Amino acid sequence: MKKIILLIALAATIQACTKVITPKLNNAATQLVIQGAVSDTAGPYYVSITRSVGFYEGNVFPPVSGAIVSIADNTAGPTDVLSETSPGMYITHSIQGIHGDTYSLKVMLDGQTYTATSTMPMPVALDSVSFYVSDTTQVRAQANFKDPAGTPNFYRYSITLNGVYDKRIQAFSDRLSDGRYIRDKIDNDTMEIRKNDMVALSLIGIDKSTFTYFKEAAEIAYSNASLAAPATPTSNIMGGCLGYFSAQTVSTKKAVVKF
Amino acid sequence: MQKAKIFTVLYLLLLPAVLFAQVTTRFVISGLIKDGKTGETLSSATIGFIGHPAFSVLSNAYGFYSITIPEGTYSMVVSYSGYTQDTIAIDLKKNLVMNLSMFGANGQLGEVVIKSKKATNILKTPAGVQVLSMEDIKNVPVLFGEKDVLKTIQLLPGIKSAGDGRSGFFVRGGSSDQNLILLDEATVYNASHLLGFFSVFNSDAIKDITIYKGGMPANYGGRLASVEDIKMKDGNDQKIAVSGGIGLISSRINVEGPLVKGKGSFMLTARRTYADAFTGLVSDTAIKGSKLFFYDVNLKANYTVNDKDRIYLSGYFGKDVLHLKQADGIDWGNATATFRWNHIFNKKLFSNTSLIYSNYNYNTQFISNINNVRVSSQITDYHLKQDFNYYLNPKNKIDIGADVIYHITQPGQAVSSQTSAFNNITLQKKYAVESALYASHEWSASEKLKITYGIRVSMLNVIGPGNFYTYDNNGEIKTNTYYKGGKIVKTYINPEPRIAASYQLDNSSSLKLSYDRNTQNIHLLNNSTSTSPTNVYLPTSNIVKPEIADQFAVGYYHTIDNRKYEFSSEIYYKTMQNQIDYKDGANLIGNDNVEAALVFGKGRGYGWENYLKKKTGKLTGWISYTYAKTERQINTVNSGAWYPAGQDQRHNIAIVGMYQLNKKWALSASWVYNTGNAVSYPSSKFSVDGVPVYYYTSRNGYRLPAYHRLDLGATLNGKKRAKYESSWTFSIYNAYARANPYTISFQKDPLNANKTQVLMTSLFKIVPSIVYNFKF
Repeated sequence: MKKIILLIALAATIQACTKVITPKLNNAATQLVIQGAVSDTAGPYYVSITRSVGFYEGNVFPPVSGAIVSIADNTAGPTDVLSETSPGMYITHSIQGIHGDTYSLKVMLDGQTYTATSTMPMPVALDSVSFYVSDTTQVRAQANFKDPAGTPNFYRYSITLNGVYDKRIQAFSDRLSDGRYIRDKIDNDTMEIRKNDMVALSLIGIDKSTFTYFKEAAEIAYSNASLAAPATPTSNIMGGCLGYFSAQTVSTKKAVVKF
Repeated sequence: MQKAKIFTVLYLLLLPAVLFAQVTTRFVISGLIKDGKTGETLSSATIGFIGHPAFSVLSNAYGFYSITIPEGTYSMVVSYSGYTQDTIAIDLKKNLVMNLSMFGANGQLGEVVIKSKKATNILKTPAGVQVLSMEDIKNVPVLFGEKDVLKTIQLLPGIKSAGDGRSGFFVRGGSSDQNLILLDEATVYNASHLLGFFSVFNSDAIKDITIYKGGMPANYGGRLASVEDIKMKDGNDQKIAVSGGIGLISSRINVEGPLVKGKGSFMLTARRTYADAFTGLVSDTAIKGSKLFFYDVNLKANYTVNDKDRIYLSGYFGKDVLHLKQADGIDWGNATATFRWNHIFNKKLFSNTSLIYSNYNYNTQFISNINNVRVSSQITDYHLKQDFNYYLNPKNKIDIGADVIYHITQPGQAVSSQTSAFNNITLQKKYAVESALYASHEWSASEKLKITYGIRVSMLNVIGPGNFYTYDNNGEIKTNTYYKGGKIVKTYINPEPRIAASYQLDNSSSLKLSYDRNTQNIHLLNNSTSTSPTNVYLPTSNIVKPEIADQFAVGYYHTIDNRKYEFSSEIYYKTMQNQIDYKDGANLIGNDNVEAALVFGKGRGYGWENYLKKKTGKLTGWISYTYAKTERQINTVNSGAWYPAGQDQRHNIAIVGMYQLNKKWALSASWVYNTGNAVSYPSSKFSVDGVPVYYYTSRNGYRLPAYHRLDLGATLNGKKRAKYESSWTFSIYNAYARANPYTISFQKDPLNANKTQVLMTSLFKIVPSIVYNFKF
């Protein structure tokens, strides 16, 4: 859509122009952000707690220490109380993710309790990561995998380039693709993929509420200008905070860019 | 039972009309009013009688008039905007048929304007109504030099533009889908080309436009906010005439002429843009070879069978194509066809029967190596309409009618390539029958007081075939019932009372009042700020109730200096029920259960509209100022508090000036200003796996920067020859290069990954254009 509008502007022998503005934004109370996951890969797993900052401040989100964090496997029984290894970063000790189990997160901080549950889906394997050159001569990665038919599946992607995590949110659901063989183009953030780069792509199977959070977060992060009613993503954690708790499956493939 | 009740109501409503029928020797004068040069019928021409101000009637939409007055001798005066007034001596001893031809005030536009406007008298028109002829909009400067009725009406009070690059417009706080846009009675669903830069109405094909912002006559229904009734020209029935224009971005041609001289005529108008001619010059391979154009064709023919019957056939077809080479693309188009039969039963009773077809469809394609998907959607209407105008006597006119529309919506169909990641889907079609009965009485209670009141009873039947769901609070399917084809799933009946009164205070001022209720059964779902052609149309269903609006308006109208100036000031208050919004994260595309993603609420709005127009002299034009507020209340939004609707603009100013410099040059300028639309901005940001994501506290809590723009235009008329006329139109859009907001994005600073920034995109700086117009 954006391209089309640019095209119109161009064709009309005029150019759309942009400028940076600084509208006054109301100060909102600082929000607590809890992000945690349990996966089917070997532990430990992490829960991070940070706070929101003002829009015009730097992208540095202050960590929150001193929380009591626990993750329980509701299906199998054990509860793991996490340790804070660095400020705002909490780590599991023993718990191991099992497909189909439901996990619950409990965070206690300043007299408030935040809780969430998430069920780990059945695993979906990523067949391969391949590359292609898009019309803008940029190299992009592509995820290749078969979506299981008959069940709703939700995914997100995570990509590292020569070992460096690319900060980009991308989620996908099989709502319109149930049972298809998926070849999905992966957007990357600021990093450009070049010849001889080592790319690791992870297909992460998530549950519906986690997907909703990531899908809405992606819309807000990348296309807030075209939303009629942009709103804060819906967290799956109860108690009045932002963030997510996800029991997830991870399938990773690596490849070197040949062209 | 229901029917019997309706008829009782109708009878009671019409009772005063019956009582006022008097028994003196009266005769009927009736006939058609036409342009003597082209044979175009003239609607809303005034027929009056010198010394008898109470005897006055307007010609109807087909140029027919009828008036019943006592035996006697009269000087009958016929007047119409832009034409020389005609006075005819009449000795009325029997019923008379007077078909009248009027002649344009031949000559330069300036002279036309001078003579014309005396005829229309704002003191007598109902509240909230505005008629614009092509003459009125001829010199208003517009984008790319294409004069455009829908763009020009956005300079009138109470009608607001949605902004650069956005199609649609807002009337008195309504959303853009709440305007009923009719082209020869056929509904036009998407009235914009090129994402709103042009309207689909080619001005060469248009006769006039009548806008109702309130006090809707009972023969209109189906939308909450306004009616834009656009009529195509009938075509010259005297001689073949060709006119056209050649511009930088588009060209157009119009051919019209008699089918049978004096009895029938045709008109054919076509227009195409060729913006994509430029795309070949661009080096960017993504853009090179792209398709970007629109075209439209208007066709109309009419034939007078005998003095009692006349038939019309009119059609419109238009298409937009925006395809990037080897990538995504969209195309969309409207098609309408109207067959009409005018029949004069007798000198007092006029009838029109219309058979109307209307279709809007769009296709979206996503192409990328292997993931090729083509999504299409459409809405089709079959419409039968019957209207009767009964001219009882000079004081009473009665309109009665009925219409039935069969709506078929195909919400979506996706066809994917073999290797695509997407399944083929066909969402089930939705069927509904929308019907209405109406009766309206135009009553001149006294010389000063004129009241039009009536009722429209609308009915909507949701019908099968199809699965009909109910949902629980989480949007999960609770029940699913299958209804067979033609089976009624749900029926909604809404009586819609309408009343409009005008009271003439003295020779130069009048007071007008109106109240009306409207309902709407076709709803547009759009979760993007750009009114993209890929919006979803949804009919009223078992879940979605008809939208209802009630509007009350009071206006004061004043003419100054023998009608050289007109001033009006109107206040309205409006409430709306069953307004539609979406839950956060709603999937509107390819979703069979889209109704589960909807939430419903209320709306209200009020406004104060002021309008001062100078109608004569070398300098003509107007100033309009509107103060308005429009709000929504939805339980799930902003904790159920009232919040400003997206189209809420507090202040809105338009100044339009046209100056006839000399016989050759006409200059024009327009300036608009409005408060920025209400938008949602974030208050802070937080991390989602290291990506900054924005935190919003409330819906529509901020304002876009104010919008203002100056447009300039000039017309150079070439030497007038016997057989060939030409003119050049020069225009400059956004003359002082104001950067008006098109979008505001909150995003990562591309130069500093540790920062976020607010980026405003504007579409146009200065857009000059030249068009060469010809006529022979």
